[in-house]
Amino acid sequence: MQKQSPNNRPKNLNLFTIKLPINALVSILHRASGVALFLLLPFMLSLLQQSLISATGYQAVSQMFNHAFVKLLLIACSWAFFHHFYAGIRHLLQDVHWMTTLQKSRFTGRVVLILVGLSVVLFAWSIF
Amino acid sequence: MFALLTNKYPGMRVWLSQRITAVVMAAYVVLLIIALLMLQPSDYAAWRVFAGSTVFRLATLLCFICLSVHAWVGVRDVLRDYIFNQTLRTYLQILVDLLLVAYVVWLSLILWGL
Repeated sequence: MQKQSPNNRPKNLNLFTIKLPINALVSILHRASGVALFLLLPFMLSLLQQSLISATGYQAVSQMFNHAFVKLLLIACSWAFFHHFYAGIRHLLQDVHWMTTLQKSRFTGRVVLILVGLSVVLFAWSIF
Repeated sequence: MFALLTNKYPGMRVWLSQRITAVVMAAYVVLLIIALLMLQPSDYAAWRVFAGSTVFRLATLLCFICLSVHAWVGVRDVLRDYIFNQTLRTYLQILVDLLLVAYVVWLSLILWGL
């Protein structure tokens, strides 16, 4: 009888060969966007402070937001917010046992991705 | 059900606080967007009046306190999943805790100290 030692098992660490199911995708993006939002906190607070501290500060902030590059950054940040928001609501609904079968959660996962896409496009359209 | 919130089940309290803070923040964000769309503070004076109102100050502080609790749980889970060195994880967690407290103080200074 041949016994394979655990060390000889094939490994598959190439992330590009792993295709995430939609539920896993929505979930990992929820985590990633949460970390991103946490890291963005000092910048958000700093902008709020700048915008309120004086009229010049307010001018500086609004002029900064006029740059196309800053707008693109802002759109990326809005993605983190919208994904965390919609996927979070989905998690809350799952916590109260709504739409928890595999089929249904695949559907709500798709709904989340579509809502995120629409919201980011709407946000981008409104600031450009 | 309330038995679940006693010291016997500390994880339950953490789990529930992450959910409750999520609901509070979601409500705040929706109300804030509605208020901004309705009032449209489009210059410095209007923005200061908007942000200086008691409702905005209290609601924003409440939301941010919820945010710090929520982020504390979230970052804790992430650190536990990816940082395997206990010492490093503890130090990172302390750093994050201090940052979150500092952010709440900072926000209070922004809202009331101006």
